[in-house]
Amino acid sequence: MIFDSYEAYKQAGFRPKACVLGSGPAGTTIARKLGAAGIPVVVLEAGSREFSDQSQDFYRGKTVGDFYFDLDITRLRFMGGSSNHWAGWCRVLDTHDFQPKAWAPDTGWPISRADIEPYLPEVHDILELPDFRPDVPVSDDIRWVQLIKSPAVRFGEKFADELDKSGNIAVVLNTYATELIGDGKRVTGARLWSNGQDAGAFSADYFVTCTGGLENSRLLLWSNERSNGGVVPNAAALGRYWMEHPTFEGGNAILANYSEFEVDDSNEAFFSPTLAAMERLRIMNFGIRLIESPYPNVKKLIADLACTAPSMAEWMSSKLDQRLRCAAQLYVAWEQAPLASNQIELSKSDVDHAGVPRIELHWKKSPLERRTLLEGLRLFGTTMAQKNLGRVRIDDWISNGGDYPTNEETAGHHHMGGTRMGTDVLKSVVDANCKVHGMDNLYVGGSSVFCTSGQCNPTTTITALACRLGEHLGKVIAV
Amino acid sequence: MSRFIRKMSRRAIVQALVALPALKLFGNRPAMVDPDEIVEINGWILRRSDLA
Repeated sequence: MIFDSYEAYKQAGFRPKACVLGSGPAGTTIARKLGAAGIPVVVLEAGSREFSDQSQDFYRGKTVGDFYFDLDITRLRFMGGSSNHWAGWCRVLDTHDFQPKAWAPDTGWPISRADIEPYLPEVHDILELPDFRPDVPVSDDIRWVQLIKSPAVRFGEKFADELDKSGNIAVVLNTYATELIGDGKRVTGARLWSNGQDAGAFSADYFVTCTGGLENSRLLLWSNERSNGGVVPNAAALGRYWMEHPTFEGGNAILANYSEFEVDDSNEAFFSPTLAAMERLRIMNFGIRLIESPYPNVKKLIADLACTAPSMAEWMSSKLDQRLRCAAQLYVAWEQAPLASNQIELSKSDVDHAGVPRIELHWKKSPLERRTLLEGLRLFGTTMAQKNLGRVRIDDWISNGGDYPTNEETAGHHHMGGTRMGTDVLKSVVDANCKVHGMDNLYVGGSSVFCTSGQCNPTTTITALACRLGEHLGKVIAV
Repeated sequence: MSRFIRKMSRRAIVQALVALPALKLFGNRPAMVDPDEIVEINGWILRRSDLA
């Protein structure tokens, strides 16, 4: 069932056991799992079926620190959530992404990759993915990895019919949970805002917040403030350890044989470090994306190489004559070191139309990440040269320690952390089952539970974690 | 002064001193260079043999 207003939903007399906040990849997946288990669940979606400026305005906020996107353009507030502007890149976090790294504090998850692997066949169905091929070692340091470009499933579109026909799932649009109310043990209800006004209180036995990697922290921070700590009793880490995938053009490569690396329709290939290389260099994970260069850039690159290594340039030039494609731009995206100081706070001066404080995001890249960028490119360049696969040129701003450019990709629009998973209540918000520490009936879905970010796009892992949480919650509720 | 030097003629000592600068020639021999060594020049990550 899909209702366009909270009023219409109330008239239907639906009695949910669980309430899911948000209809993005995590919320929709969890609701579908609960519905399939025969558990009545309501999904409260703050936006409507389509994008609107009015809804999007609730997402405005402020960033303090490094340059970042406007907070109302880096996510979407309507049915299907941010899957509506997802590019579709898929890969699951690697096994070593879940493991603690001695050289990077506060890394490591309380679960392993094996805990989400049983859900991957389901994830492949949801995201319409073929099987991943195994990684290919290029050297002891570098792996040629696969990111699959999925059809970029828009969850609101793909599952609208199924949700509408479901007798166990009610999706209520234009209904914004402004706060959860809790007594330190349980969430006892939620306050709603619908059609531009206060819509009163709402209750269910279980609540799952799936409002996104920024909004989950905002909702819980505000709820906790209003309930005097009754929603997140252990709030030391709430809003903290927020992470992105910083992304910048890092240089160029001339390849001896571009087609040696099987590439997708967009002619992109991906490389990552081995765990041994990360350990040896004491750096974070990273991904290097090769994007085929346009012809004028190739000529410029070979001219530059001719100044340094004339015979190599001559050889590359002859390759260019044969194939007309031999060069690539290198884009680097990397894993941020989890830092408590990268955090979501509530604005002290700015509120949205419902009176909820807007987000103030404090975000800075660390020196460890800067080293990861430089050493990562050196690692990749060294492998290319040693294996005679090509030659790499690192951009000057990176070699010379210049400022990060502000006219590039900047980051992946991947919002992770803030309600991270863990066992230490001082450094995490939810446990291994995504249940808020100390609360009996409050769970969190989505990338805000990520402890570390790895190097790959998060949607595949988000969906796998949502399948796992949906199954777990189904068992808990059924008891 | 050692007994060895006392036994040398003054002429031999002068000849030895004059020959000293020539010893530098032996130090100027090119070092053995690994052509596969990886070097970073002007941002390029190259093999040393690329520079030939």
